[in-house]
Parts: sequence; C-alpha cells; structure tokens
Amino acid sequence: MRQFSIQGLREILLPRAKDPASPDRTAARARAAFGPLPLMTSRKHSDLAAFLGEVSLFADFSHWELGRLARNAHERTYRDGEYIYEEGRPGAALFLVRSGIVEITRRDPKGEEVPILALERPASFSEQAAIGTDFARWTSAVARGPVSLVALGKPDLDSLGRRFPLLANKVLSRLAQILVLRLEVLLETQLPPGGAQTSNDDAAK
Amino acid sequence: MLPLAVGGLLAYVCQPLVAALERFRLARGLVVALLVVATLVIGLLLLSRVRAALPAEIAALEMRVRAFHNINQKYRALMDLDDSLREGNRLYRFAGEDLDPLIDQVDRSIALTPEERARFLASRSESPDAGADPLIGYDLENQRTLETRGLTVVKPPRIPGGAGATQRTKGPLAVLGETLSTWIVAPAVFFFLLRDGSLIKRGFLRAVPNRLFEPTLAVLADLDRALGGYVRGIFLESCFLGVSLALLLRVLGVPVGWSILVGLVAGAANPVPYIGSAVALLGGLSFFVVADEVHPLLSAIRSENVAIWLVAGIALIEVLKNSVFEPFVLGESVDVHPLVILIGVLAGGLLFGLVGLLLALPTITIVKTLVASASHQLKAHRLI
Repeated sequence: MRQFSIQGLREILLPRAKDPASPDRTAARARAAFGPLPLMTSRKHSDLAAFLGEVSLFADFSHWELGRLARNAHERTYRDGEYIYEEGRPGAALFLVRSGIVEITRRDPKGEEVPILALERPASFSEQAAIGTDFARWTSAVARGPVSLVALGKPDLDSLGRRFPLLANKVLSRLAQILVLRLEVLLETQLPPGGAQTSNDDAAK
Repeated sequence: MLPLAVGGLLAYVCQPLVAALERFRLARGLVVALLVVATLVIGLLLLSRVRAALPAEIAALEMRVRAFHNINQKYRALMDLDDSLREGNRLYRFAGEDLDPLIDQVDRSIALTPEERARFLASRSESPDAGADPLIGYDLENQRTLETRGLTVVKPPRIPGGAGATQRTKGPLAVLGETLSTWIVAPAVFFFLLRDGSLIKRGFLRAVPNRLFEPTLAVLADLDRALGGYVRGIFLESCFLGVSLALLLRVLGVPVGWSILVGLVAGAANPVPYIGSAVALLGGLSFFVVADEVHPLLSAIRSENVAIWLVAGIALIEVLKNSVFEPFVLGESVDVHPLVILIGVLAGGLLFGLVGLLLALPTITIVKTLVASASHQLKAHRLI
C-alpha cells in the first residue's frame, strides 16, 4: 500500500506532466498503426450525442436516447502515458474512446506490463464497471498519445434508470450482451475447438 | 443562508417527483418551472391560512386580556388564594414564594399598557352589546389583580436603531420588499439545482484530476444517496408529525387555523430533535390557557382534562414517530449515535443560531458519509 504523505497528496492532486521529449515507443507505434490524429477527429465529430451513435454499444439508439445519454456522460482527456485505470483497483465507469489510442495492458508474473490490445475510436472498454459488479479490474488502460474519452459512470446509469427506466434497461442489456461476447471470445481463445466435447466424452466413459 | 438551505433541501425533496414526470418525456426545464410555480402557490396558500389564524391588533389585545384573566384565575383556583392574593393552601405555602415572581413576570409581559387599554376599551365601546361584554369584566378584574399584586405596566423602552424601532418606522411595503429580496434566492436555488443539478455535478467532476475521477464519482453517488435519503425522509417525517399534531389539536377542540399553524411550525421545527413536539405542546397549552371554552370533538374529552389528553397524545405521536415512522422513512441514512446528534445540534445552535440548529443533522450526515466513503474509495484505489 502506498505511504500517505504530503508529497503523495501533491502527486495525486497536481500530477506533473511527463517529459514530452522522452521517447515512448509504444505510443509512437500505436499512433503510426492506428487512425487519424485526435484533433482532426474531434473537429469532425464535435457533438457528443452523434459520437455516442457511432459506438456499437448504442448503435440503434434513437436521437432522443442518445441525447439523454450524452447529458449523463463525462468527457475526459488524458496525456500520453497517463493511466485511465490501473489493474487491481475497483471501477465505477465504462469508457468510450473518442479520439486517440488506448492501450490495454496486464501485468505478467514478473510484474511487467504486457500490452494486450490497442483501442481506437469508437471502442468501448471497462463495461463491467458500469454494470456495477463489485470487482477489481484485471487489466490496466493507458493513454498512448493524447486521448479523449467519454465516461459513463455507474451512478449515472443508476440516475438514468430512475428517470428513464426503459432506456437504462436497454443500455444494461447491451452491456450484458457485450460482456457475453467478450466471454465467448475469451473461452474460444483459451479452449481448443472440441475440447469441451472431449472432456464430456471422458466423463461418459 | 436560510433561504439558500431551504431552496437546496427542497430541491432534494422534489428530485424523485421530477424524475417521475420526466418519464412522460416532459422537458426537465418545464417540469421544474411547474414545480416552482406549484411550490410558490402552496406556500402562499399556507401563508394566507397562517396569516388568517394570526390575530389582528385589536384581536391580539383581546387575547392578552383573556390570557391574563385565565392565567390568574387558574393560578388563584389552584393555590386557593384569598382576595389579598397573599394567603393560600398548602401548595401555595410550599411553592408560592417561587411561583409568585414567575406569575408577576407573565402578568407584566401580557398586561396591557395604558395606551393599549385605551384602544381596547374604545374598540369594545363601539360594539353593539358592550353592556354584556365579558371582556370588559375580564379587564376590570385584571386591573384589580394588577393593583393587588402591586404591579405597574409600562411601555417597553424603545431602543434607538433596534429591530422593533426599525420595523415600526418601515411601511408594510418596505417590509414585504425586504422579505421578498431575501427569500427570492430560495426559488432561484430550487429551480437551478433541480434543472442543472447534473450539469453542476459534471462541471465539478471536470475539474477533478483523472486519477480521482472514479473515486469521486463513487463518493458523490454515496453522498447523493445519503443526503437524498435523509432529506426526503425527514421531509416525510415532518409532514407526518405536522399533520398528526394538527389533527390531535383539532380533536382536542383547537380551531382549524390555530391547529394548522401549530402543525406547520412543529413540522418545520422537526429537524431539530424533540423541538417539533415541544412546539405543539406549548402551542396547545397556550390555546387552552387563553380560550374561555374548549369544545373537543370527542365526548370523552372534557375541558378539565384536555391538557392531560394533549400531553398523552403528543407522547403517543412522538413514540410512533421514533419507533415506527423514523426507521421506515429514514432507514440507515442517519446511522449516527444519539450523543453525536445531540452535541452536533447544540454546537450548531450555539455557533449559527436557528440555521445551525436546522442544518446540524444534514451536516453531520454529509460529513459522516464523506469521510467514510472517501476513505473507503481512496483505500480501494490505493491512493492512501
């Protein structure tokens, strides 16, 4: 656990900018590999509701529903290398990439961070946190280059549910679908095809 | 400060109502504007009802004459005093020395000054049945009591620049203007907090550093839940207390206007522990002292034992409030030790007066939730 001190508090409240001259090869690779520069995209899609419409999570939501969601969303900006969240810590919001590259990483047994994937507009991540399951995150998310995100907190969804239960229900079912899809993909990558059948056959014998 | 707090707390109370109306896809601004208008109309109606229950100048003088007479008559009967008011029964011999100065003080404070008496007598002489007027008889008896007790009533000294002097020099329009300019803040705060509450929250969160974004989101949600639960719970409880006390007083024979006034004041004072019931007890007893005759709605209650019924009724309502209603509406939103509440309320009253008394419990709720939630979140995020 981190020692509490004035210096620690200062770091939390007034985080210093990293040296812009320092080479960050992962960020450079991500910028080179993925899409347009953040400034260009933010100019093109200035409207938050219109951006939400691009996200697969809210693909067939009406204009009115997107407007309601936009009123509950938070726009956040991150500097290169800044953590959006860290592994092992609880979460309270789902994030949508509006511009820039977000790298999802996970610590290996040696404690070194291994990049898993890079996300760009209009990807969503950390859906579990918005559903509200009490869990510690098993990955970290780091900004690669300047990143602009839209966050939708669990309290925001709760508040939405009190005012517009049908809309909140729609969002929650979408989140559940996404989580099921992610689980399926994870299982497919972890288990060989026909593996489950083999084990069933073994059990029958 | 008080109008700000009232506007803010009322906004919290009305939040679920706005949410319910928004489900019909009504614009939030329109819903809030309708609520402001409805609240103002209800407030003005209650105010007019209360104003109607308050006596005018001559009625107030009559009330003081009646109160003076009834208090002294009841004291005289209780102590079995003779005409000199110096000899009485055993009770008087035991406690008379301590009680006499108290009665003298009450007499001095409610007796009419010579100018007030002149106005009172002039008003009674205009009445068609002046000859058989019991109040004239009361007044004569009151004068005899004052002479026997050796009391003189003088006009209270006028303090230059004092509050009373200021009120007197100001016209009613000026007083109304001053009140409006102070209280206009309340509907404004109510309107903007209800309409732009989420915008204000988002604006605040925008200023929060990224590392603290999610913990702050969770802490704000905890605060909202705790404060909302407390404010809405205490509002419902105050309504329950006010309505119950008003009904009790009506059943005991107190007129409708006076019952509503006492119920309103008791309900408004409810956030300060025990003060609501104390107000009702004082209001009810004052009425029974002042009134010549009491006509209870139930035949079992008689004017001789009405005070006992009042005390028993208020005790029952207080027990119901504490044991049934409070756990139901407040739940665990104010899970604080009673000693902490008592110290907090006393400290609030000493430091900030009436506003401190009223806002002590919400402040305790906020501070307690803030400390507990912030420390939990900061630890979970390994920030401390």
